[in-house]
Amino acid sequence: MSHSILIRLSGACLGHNGTLVLEGVDLQIARGSFVGVLGANGSGKSTILKTIVGILPVLRGQLEFPTGQPRFGYVPQRDTLDSAYPLTAFEVALMGTYGKLGPLGFIQRAMRERTMEALAEVRAEGLADRLFAELSGGERQRVLIARALAADPDCLVLDEPVAGIDQATVEVIMDLTSALHQRRAMTVLMVSHHILSLRGRAGEIVWIADHGLISGPAELMLSKEKIEEMLMSGGG
Amino acid sequence: MTLLLEMLSPDFLLRHALYASVAIGFVCPLVGVYLVLRRLVFLGIALPQIAAAGIAFAYLLHTVGVHLYPHQEEEQPMALTGSILFVVAALIVLATLERRGRGMVEGRVGAIYAAAAAASILFVAANPYGESTLLSLLRGEVLGVSLSQFWGTIAVYGGIAACVLVLQKEFTFVSFDREMAMTLGKQVVAWDLCLYLIIGLAIAFGVMTVGPLLVFGFLVVPPLAARQITRGMWPFSLAASGIGGATALIGFYLSLRWDLPLGPTDVAVACVILGLVTAGQVVSNWLRRV
Repeated sequence: MSHSILIRLSGACLGHNGTLVLEGVDLQIARGSFVGVLGANGSGKSTILKTIVGILPVLRGQLEFPTGQPRFGYVPQRDTLDSAYPLTAFEVALMGTYGKLGPLGFIQRAMRERTMEALAEVRAEGLADRLFAELSGGERQRVLIARALAADPDCLVLDEPVAGIDQATVEVIMDLTSALHQRRAMTVLMVSHHILSLRGRAGEIVWIADHGLISGPAELMLSKEKIEEMLMSGGG
Repeated sequence: MTLLLEMLSPDFLLRHALYASVAIGFVCPLVGVYLVLRRLVFLGIALPQIAAAGIAFAYLLHTVGVHLYPHQEEEQPMALTGSILFVVAALIVLATLERRGRGMVEGRVGAIYAAAAAASILFVAANPYGESTLLSLLRGEVLGVSLSQFWGTIAVYGGIAACVLVLQKEFTFVSFDREMAMTLGKQVVAWDLCLYLIIGLAIAFGVMTVGPLLVFGFLVVPPLAARQITRGMWPFSLAASGIGGATALIGFYLSLRWDLPLGPTDVAVACVILGLVTAGQVVSNWLRRV
């Protein structure tokens, strides 16, 4: 596994709509690592993710990609997607391939095949013809991960992928993400509320508290003492 | 049956009105699906009213001697210009406020609707000439559509249909998941602008031809019906378009058969179709549970 730096934030101030959420952020994410991002509600976990993938601008400081601009596979929070759309699971997953398509480009057979492969990779090929809005939380999450994979990403970025899902499905989603990370040697950046579900899966943990962050190896950051310390300081 | 055959004959006296209203019936729902999916139905009411205010304002200018198009018969082009300018200006204002994220979207659209409705009436009241002509134009004058208007309608709505169908994946993507679209490098603001311009154009031309009521009806009711019986964006868009076209044809027939005003007849037909589809869905769901 290469340990070259894929993403680097230096002295960065992050926020949205002119509101500063995090300041002085210094963070390096190594290629091929699995990084879990923890923190209390409103602490800025999603803000970090959205800034890294380019949804939000860096307010001050620098965001760099030392080894070149990576392709991101972004899995948004499930609840942000409106169920009014009569899209099938296949159509949703197919959107992952649109990055390769020009404005007037037509969908090619290869893009459809890639989408079916991605669905199969997350064991969701049987959901292809069903309405996305009618799927369960766990099924939707698998389709969204398939959509991210269809983009052939260098870095899989997941924003609260297991929020509002029962514990059994949490384990399925986490195992699936972990397997993808190992099988593809893909960088994974995951925001989660489920502290314990990251144990044994994430290699690095970034913990956000008090408008800043601390990071370190998962064994240290997810130790009982550290978790207690962070929870007491309002970081969880 | 005889009337229907007569309607479909190439020598039918009102054929241009029929073809124009059917074209608008087919195309408006293709645009309207995005108003429904983006939960901007209220915008579908407000924009036709804004277009009507633009028409009334253009007529007022014409009456007081301000001429945009000298040396030609200019009432229609001026009215169309007013309609397009008002709609585009309203869309720019709404999009700018939305980007700044201030206030409630519904509140803004509601205020603009109220202002446009009041302005239409005031512009008409201030116009010393041609009040009846203007009022009939605001209600939609499809039966009196001229040959040049007819070809203009076909060209504009053909172009709109082509754009919406070719760009469907982009419009759907940025509407459904803006953030994912941004991570894949899509210019979401440009696509939004493009979609809003197409919506504005469809409404501005439609109001000139069939009036604000029917434009709103075609924009919203067929997509609401199609949404219940389809899965997938293509089936959804095509079913909405088909329902709109069929509504225009049936409405035209009923309007001729019983001498009814065309606009309200078309909207009533669309609502009956929506009611039947909804009832069918309720029965189907009930049978599935039993």
